This record gives sequence, C-alpha cells and structure tokens, in this order.
Amino acid sequence: MSFLRSAAGFLARVKVLEGATTVQTRRHIKRWVSPTLRELAHRQKKLGPQKPEARSGFLEWNQRSELFAFGKRLGESFELSQLQRAFTEKSFARREEERRRKLGIEETDLQVPDNSDLAEKGHHIARAYVNAFLQHQLPKVPKEGLQAIAAYLLSTETLAHVSSHLGSKDLIQSTEYPPTAESLAQSLQAVIGALADSSGVERAFLFVRDFICTQLNQKDLLDVWTPQDPLQLLEKICKERKLGEAEPRLLGDCGRNTVLAAYQVGIYANRQLLGKGFGEDLKTATETAAIDGLQSIFDTHDNRRPFDFAIKLETKNVRLG
Amino acid sequence: MSNSHLFLKSGFPRAPLQNGVGRYVCQLQRITLKFCKNNGSSRGMRDFIENHLVDFAKENPGIVVYVKPRRHRTPVLVGEYLNGEREWMSCRNNTQEEISKWVDLLKTQNGSSSSLRLRKMWHTDVPSIQGPWTPFLLRSPESQGQVYPSEEASKPLETPQTATEKLIELFRQQQLEAGEEAHEVLNKKRAE
Repeated sequence: MSFLRSAAGFLARVKVLEGATTVQTRRHIKRWVSPTLRELAHRQKKLGPQKPEARSGFLEWNQRSELFAFGKRLGESFELSQLQRAFTEKSFARREEERRRKLGIEETDLQVPDNSDLAEKGHHIARAYVNAFLQHQLPKVPKEGLQAIAAYLLSTETLAHVSSHLGSKDLIQSTEYPPTAESLAQSLQAVIGALADSSGVERAFLFVRDFICTQLNQKDLLDVWTPQDPLQLLEKICKERKLGEAEPRLLGDCGRNTVLAAYQVGIYANRQLLGKGFGEDLKTATETAAIDGLQSIFDTHDNRRPFDFAIKLETKNVRLG
Repeated sequence: MSNSHLFLKSGFPRAPLQNGVGRYVCQLQRITLKFCKNNGSSRGMRDFIENHLVDFAKENPGIVVYVKPRRHRTPVLVGEYLNGEREWMSCRNNTQEEISKWVDLLKTQNGSSSSLRLRKMWHTDVPSIQGPWTPFLLRSPESQGQVYPSEEASKPLETPQTATEKLIELFRQQQLEAGEEAHEVLNKKRAE
C-alpha cells in the first residue's frame, strides 16, 4: 500500500515538474507513525482491559464549578460545603484522614466530614414524603401494598438509577471508581439531607417528588406489588369493607381435557361481579380473577387516572419519623 | 435505511429519568472547547470564546464550561451528558455563528442525535390496550345459550357433494329432459 502511495506521489511530482518550474514536495504520512501506533496497540493489549478513569482525574476538572453547576442544573440552591460533604463517602474520608496524618498535619485539621449523617437525614425525609405521596395518590390500596411500592421507590437500585442520571457518578469521592450502587444511593439521600439543611425541608420534599416519585410514571403497579394469595386477600378485604362473601364462579371454558384448555372465572360478591380472569386451569383462572378484582377495588388498573406529580402536599401531612 | 446505516445504533425517542414529568433538567452537564491560539482553523472558535462564551455560561449555570487551548490542533467541541454519553465534534474553519448553533444543539439533546437511527418516531410501553386475546373475547350472542352436544353445532361448515349425490342429480336431469321430449311428441300426436 505504502509502495503504491509513494509511486503515485512520484508520478504526481513528475507531472508538476513537467507543468511548472517550481518543485513542490507532497506531504505523506510519516514513516514512524505506523510502527509507533502498532507498538502502542501491542502494549495496550499486553496490559489487558483497564478500569475506566475517573473523570475528576482529568486536567479539565474543577470540583467547585461542578458542585455549583449540580445545584443550578436541578434548580436548587445548595451550600457548597454541604454539597461537598454529601458527595464524600465515609471510606474515602477515613483514607484522606490517614493520608493527612502521615503528612504530619495537626490533629485539629484532620477531620474530613462524610455523608453518613446527611444520608440518614435524607433517608428519613424521602421515606416520609414517599409514604405521604402514595397515601394521597392511592387512597384505596391497603398498608402492605403501599409499603411494597414505597420499598420499590426507596430501593438501592431505584435510588442509584436516579442518582447516576443526575450526574453524581463523577462527583462522588469514593475509594473506587465507578462508584457502587450503594454509594450512589447513599449520596442521593445525602443530597436530599443537604438540601433540607440549605434551603428548608419543603424544597427537599419537592426534590423527592420530582425525582423519586416520578419513577412511578407509566410503571405497572402489578410488577411492583403482587399479593401472595390474592383470593384470600380479596376475601379479607370483602369482609372488611362489607361487600359480601367473595365467590368464584365459572363463566366459560373451552378445550377441556386438552392441552389448549382455557377457563374463565368471575368472582362475585353479593351478586356483583368484582373481577374476571382466565387461565389454563381453574386455579390460575381464579387467581387472575382475584387479582383483577383487587385491582378494581384498589383502583390500580392500568387505565386508572395517572399520578399527579404536580401536587404540593402540606408539610403537616408529611410525618417525619 | 441505506447500507451505510446498518451498523448505526438504533433506538426510540426517549426522555431519560422521566425528564419533564417532575421538572426539566438540561441533559448537557459539561462542555469543553478545545482550540489553538494562533492557527487559522480556530479563528471562529476564538471569536466565539471572546464574544459569546461568558453570556452562554451566565445563561446556563447548570453547564460547566471548560476551555482548553492546545497548539496546532483542530478546534473541537466535546459535550458530556447526564446519561453518560459523550459527543465529540470537530469545528474546523467554522465561524462563530456556526459554533453558536452547534453549542445550542448540544444543549438541547441527550446524546449524539445523528448517531442514533430512530426505529419509529414514537414509543409506547403498552402496545395493546385491550390485553391478551382469549377464546372468551368477542363471543357471538348465539353461543351464550348453546347446550352441548348439539347436532347443529357439530356439523362441519362445508360438506362437498358426494359422487352418489352427483349421479342421482344427473339421472334426475336426464329424466326431466326426456320427460320434456316425450311431452312434445305427445302434443304433436294429439294435434294430428
């Protein structure tokens, strides 16, 4: 290839010589480029796959500007010292203290604040607001259902997902990079705590509503919470709400005693159809019918009114515990 | 889709983290402007930095702006997004107006929009609004009160004509035709 290129270049030069009196040498890719790149690739292959480099280690990185922009991006005003603290992990702080001690810095300047107490505060705020929000939006769902949905919203995976999409992955000061899901979740809770410290608990509530509660948008609630024994729960609910005794009845069947059997079961209480479902045998059909009935009683069907994420719950209704 | 797009990443238009449901968050988190201080190809970038960059940074406090001079290299815009994507863009010989427009584009997207082939212009998590089909869906009213086994319902929908039936039909037709001829002969005789 290089031979062809040089031959073409030589021909071009000959043409130029014939045409004009000025000699212009053509510029080629230098001879050292290819072997150097090859050697670099060889060394990289020998080293094996490397861990990703932390963005904060780059030349173009200013921690202070990043923290400032973090707050402004979310439309909140943070105290930068609080925010810095919210992004400092406990293990990192201990390591930093150890490093300073070795350097011979006085014991009074050694303290590096970490985010554990802020995270605890933020956790309380988030839990209280999520519970209040769910109680307001799903008034008919029983306690265990609300608990399951709140546990989903406050789980490490959900919080880590939210946290990483708010850009805290690069800001977290941790002993490992990329930070683990636990440290991402903890830093998000610490940010909520820092927000409550900086601009009041109401702003922290709105933050929780806008970033954590919105994860329920378009979510199938049956995926989040499916009752273990739906028929039993339905019977219990019917007894509590005085709807009469729940009774499963066969509405239709086809292909009995074949592999393609299908049954449709309806659940009645006090001559009212609560819900209907189908399945390949009577047991699953009754179960799906019970789940359907529960969904209509709890008002958690797919076609329910969507969640209202613009509501402002009064602070006195949110119980901080 | 042409052949050059075969290996292009494909996807659907999606907003990350339900953006805009709660509040809108600008997805561009930092932008780096790399340029040369005396090369001609960086002229527009230098003009942009001189005239517009401070205003841009003031208007967008949520975007961190880094400016990185380097010798004899092409001017470059690098945008980093909240979802972890990074977009590199050469601005060689661009004017400051062009660079303003490119920066505006980076500000309003969440990843390189030109490196994603949109499979559809819309997306839904729930494609079917009526749920799965069952044999009990849209049943005819007659089948509601049907008692099985029933002779009417057990018959096949279409029964082809058997050979015997065809023979009988042919015989009847012949008889009929013969009958008409015999009739005519009788009539003639009567007229005589």
